[in-house]
Amino acid sequence: MTITVPVNLPTPLTLYTDGQRDVSATGTSLDALLTDLDRQFPGMRFRMIDEQGRGRAHMKFFINGQLHRDLDANIREGDRLMIVAAISGG
Amino acid sequence: MNDRQLLRYGRHLLLNEFGIEGQEKLLASRVLVVGAGGLGSAALLFLASAGIGELVIADGDTVELSNLQRQVIHRESSLGRNKAASAAEAVLALNADCKVSTLQSRLTGSNLSDAVAQVNLVLDCSDNFATRHALNRASVSARVPLVSGAAIRFDGQVTSFDPRRASSSCYHCLFPDASELEEERCAVMGVFAPIVGVIGAMQASEALRILAGIGDPLVGRLLIYEGLSQRWQEVRLAKDPACPVCSVVRNFHRSAQHAPA
Repeated sequence: MTITVPVNLPTPLTLYTDGQRDVSATGTSLDALLTDLDRQFPGMRFRMIDEQGRGRAHMKFFINGQLHRDLDANIREGDRLMIVAAISGG
Repeated sequence: MNDRQLLRYGRHLLLNEFGIEGQEKLLASRVLVVGAGGLGSAALLFLASAGIGELVIADGDTVELSNLQRQVIHRESSLGRNKAASAAEAVLALNADCKVSTLQSRLTGSNLSDAVAQVNLVLDCSDNFATRHALNRASVSARVPLVSGAAIRFDGQVTSFDPRRASSSCYHCLFPDASELEEERCAVMGVFAPIVGVIGAMQASEALRILAGIGDPLVGRLLIYEGLSQRWQEVRLAKDPACPVCSVVRNFHRSAQHAPA
């Protein structure tokens, strides 16, 4: 079964998508979605996940508006992923 | 309130949710605003006009020409002056009833924790992660609500943390302190002028409603503003049970309460 869901990207990641903020990705887990994003937009995953496979401190994942810290989180039909990057400007 | 204040704040008094009681709470409040840049400019003008009793303004920077594109509290005549001093002058010109004091250096260490402990609420209008995390630690430790805003390019974020509520997350639960945090400065990345006004005004709204005790503050919710498409999105925040800032403090308080005499 393949599940494709909409993904909303923060501005720093639109560097990889030619400025596009709304994209889509296929997978049944959060980790799989990030892998698929990297397949479509090479280099993007490393901006979110470090060498040890941990989520970077300044990138957060929200599935249907709910914060998920576990990359194994399941993705279901109709879900929506939003990736939020910390900003510090004032 | 005297007659002049009843007249001055009359449009607040007309609001059923607010009334005289809400306005009196504002007049009795002491608020710390860290950063008198873009966010602080908008937030301070609304806090002062709305009748916050006492404002403490902290900023160690001086007003530069490139600031005037968006930092609307400053004037050309303030170029080269300390931002907190310049903002204080504007606040007093707007509302002479408002008591204003300034901290004209970058807040760190005990200066920062002392300043936070002496107020009813803090607005984080700063421009760097180190200050954001230090303010968060001080806010949790002193149990003072923190209204957090951030803006760069066309993007804005705003939320509130209330350490008085057991369920409230803190800034560290959302974005943990880490050496790898990439500092993106307006001087390098650019910032669209009205974004800081939008987010700063939202911070003022949060502060006023939290202090007056009305409505539903953004505790547990983060609003994300995409200024290029004028789109707001909301996500829900969750307390990190392993957070070294808010979970450790809370556990410490709990164990202290239950410690044998």
